[in-house]
Amino acid sequence: MKKSVGQILGRTGIRIPLILWSIAVLYPIFWMFLGSFKSNAEIYRNPWGLPETFNWQNFADAWTNYNIDTSVFNSLIVTVVGAALTLVLAIPTAYAIERINFKGSKFLFTLYVSAMMIPMVLGWIPLFFLLMDFGLLDNIFGLAIVYAVSQLPFTIFVLTSFMSTIPKSLEESASMDGMSPYRILWKIITPLSMSGIITVTIMNAIQFWNEYFMALIFLQTEGNYTLALAIDYISSEAQYTNAWGTLFASLVIAIVPVIILYAIFQQRIAKGMTEGAIKG
Amino acid sequence: MVQSKKQKYMFLAFCLVPTFIMFAIFTLYPLFSGLYYSFFDWSGSAQNKEFIGLDNYIKLINDAIIPDTIIHDYFLVATKVIGIMIMALFIAVALTQLKIKEAPFYRIVFFFPNIMSVVVIGILWTFIYNPSMGLVNSGLEFLGLESLARPWLGSETWALPSLVLPSIWAGIGLFMLMLMGGIANVSKSYYEAAEIDGANEWQQFWKVTLPLIWPQIKISILYIVITTLNGSFIIVQVMTGGGPNNSTHVMGSYLYQQAFVQFNFGYGATIGVMILVLSLITVLILQFLMRRDKVEY
Repeated sequence: MKKSVGQILGRTGIRIPLILWSIAVLYPIFWMFLGSFKSNAEIYRNPWGLPETFNWQNFADAWTNYNIDTSVFNSLIVTVVGAALTLVLAIPTAYAIERINFKGSKFLFTLYVSAMMIPMVLGWIPLFFLLMDFGLLDNIFGLAIVYAVSQLPFTIFVLTSFMSTIPKSLEESASMDGMSPYRILWKIITPLSMSGIITVTIMNAIQFWNEYFMALIFLQTEGNYTLALAIDYISSEAQYTNAWGTLFASLVIAIVPVIILYAIFQQRIAKGMTEGAIKG
Repeated sequence: MVQSKKQKYMFLAFCLVPTFIMFAIFTLYPLFSGLYYSFFDWSGSAQNKEFIGLDNYIKLINDAIIPDTIIHDYFLVATKVIGIMIMALFIAVALTQLKIKEAPFYRIVFFFPNIMSVVVIGILWTFIYNPSMGLVNSGLEFLGLESLARPWLGSETWALPSLVLPSIWAGIGLFMLMLMGGIANVSKSYYEAAEIDGANEWQQFWKVTLPLIWPQIKISILYIVITTLNGSFIIVQVMTGGGPNNSTHVMGSYLYQQAFVQFNFGYGATIGVMILVLSLITVLILQFLMRRDKVEY
C-alpha cells in the first residue's frame, strides 16, 4: 500500500502529543529533584531552572532536623512487616481455595474479592476504636496489620490465579510419596509460585510505602509518623517556615525507592497492576 | 490418597481459619459496626454514646454541605472518566497501531505516576499551581496571558477543577496498559479485511478497534468510577483539605473532618454508609448502562 503524504505527516503529528505528555510527566519529577539541591532563596528566585550548585544541605536538614530518619525507619518497618504478614496470611488461603475441594470455596473467594470494591472509609471509624482497644492505635505494628489485611483480597486474588497454572501432577506424586500437605504447600507450591509471590509483594510494598490516609488516621505522635505523614507535616509547616528545599529533599527520599523498584521490576509491576484491575 | 478426612479438615482449617479471623476482625467487623454506629450520637468516649435512631440520617439530609460533596465527587468521576479514557485511548492506539519506534519509552514514562504516592503527587501539583512560583501561572505569563493567572487552589471556583488534572496525570498509565492489552488481542486479520474494504484508519478505529476492546473500556470506566468514589478524598486532603470554604470537600474528606477532626463519630459513620450505598448504586447503574453484547466477527 502506498502511504499518502497526509499519512506520513500524521505519523509525525501523532508524536507531538506524546512528546508533550512525556514532558508533562517527567518535568515535575525532574524539577522536584532539582529543587532538592537549591537553597530556599534560590527556589524563590528561580523556581523552575537548574540549581546554581548541587548542595546536599537540604537532605541533611530533612534527615536530622525534620525527623525524616525516624519516619524512613518507620515506613521501612511498616512496609516489610506488612508485606510479610500479607504473604503469611494469603498463601495458605490462596492454595486452599485454588486446590482443595471444600464446600463454600467459591463463596469464600467471592467474599474476599468483593472486598476489593467496597469503600473501606466506612470501616475506618470502628477500626480506629478497635485498634485503641487492642492498644495498637498510634503503633506502627498496628498499622502494618491493618495494611496487611487491607491488601489480602488483592493478594489472594493474584496468587490463586497464579497457582492455577501449576500442574497438579507435582502435588499428586509428592502426596503419593507420603509428603504431608503442609510440606507440599511449603516445599512445592510456595517455590513454584515464587514469581507470583514476588510480583504481588513488590506491589504491596509500594502500596504500603506510599500509603497516606490510614496512617493519617491511625498514627498520632510524630515519633511514629511514616514518611508520607512526615512529608505532609513538613509541607503544611512550609507555609510558615518556607523550608521548600527540605520539603523537596524529603519528597526525593520518598520517591527514590519507588523509582529503583520500578527500574528493576517495571514489567512485573505493570503486568500485575493491569491483571489485578482487569480480572477484579 | 493416604490422608484421612480428619487430616484433610485439619489442613483446611490451618489454611483458612487464621486468615479469615484476621479478615473478619479488620475488614468485616469494622464495616458492619460502621453501619451500627450510624445510629448513635457519639463523640468517642464510651459514656457519651447515645442511641438516636435515624437522627443522623435526618441530619444528613438537611446538611447543606452534603449535596455539594456529592456533586464534587461526581464531578471528579465524570471529568476523570472523560479525560482519562480519551487520553488513554489515544495513547494506546498510537503506541500499538502506528509502529512508533520509541513506544516502550512512552509506555514506561506514562505509567510511572501510577505508582507514585498521592502525597508526592499532591505536593508536586500544589507547587505547580502555586500563585507566585507555580508553573501554571509562570507559563501563562510567559505566553502573555497574565489575565488568566489566578490562585488556582485558593479560588472557590477553580480549586475543584484544578484537582482534575493531577488525577488524570496520575491515572492514565494503568488504563493505557489495559487498553493496549485489549488492542494486542485483536486479530490482525480484521484490520486487513477492513483495509481491503477500503476503510481508512479512522473508520478502522471506530468500526474495528472500539467495538472489539469494549470489554476493556467498560472495565476501565468502572474501575475509574470505583476508585474515584472510594479514594478521591485522598488527593483532596493533601492538596486542599476540603477548602477553600468547603468548595472542594468530597464525601470522604467530609467524613474525615466530621469523624476525626470534629469527633462526630456517629455522623461520620452515617456519611460512610452514604458513600457505600452511593458507590454500590453507581456501579449497578453503570453495569446496566454499559451492558452490550460481546462483539464477535
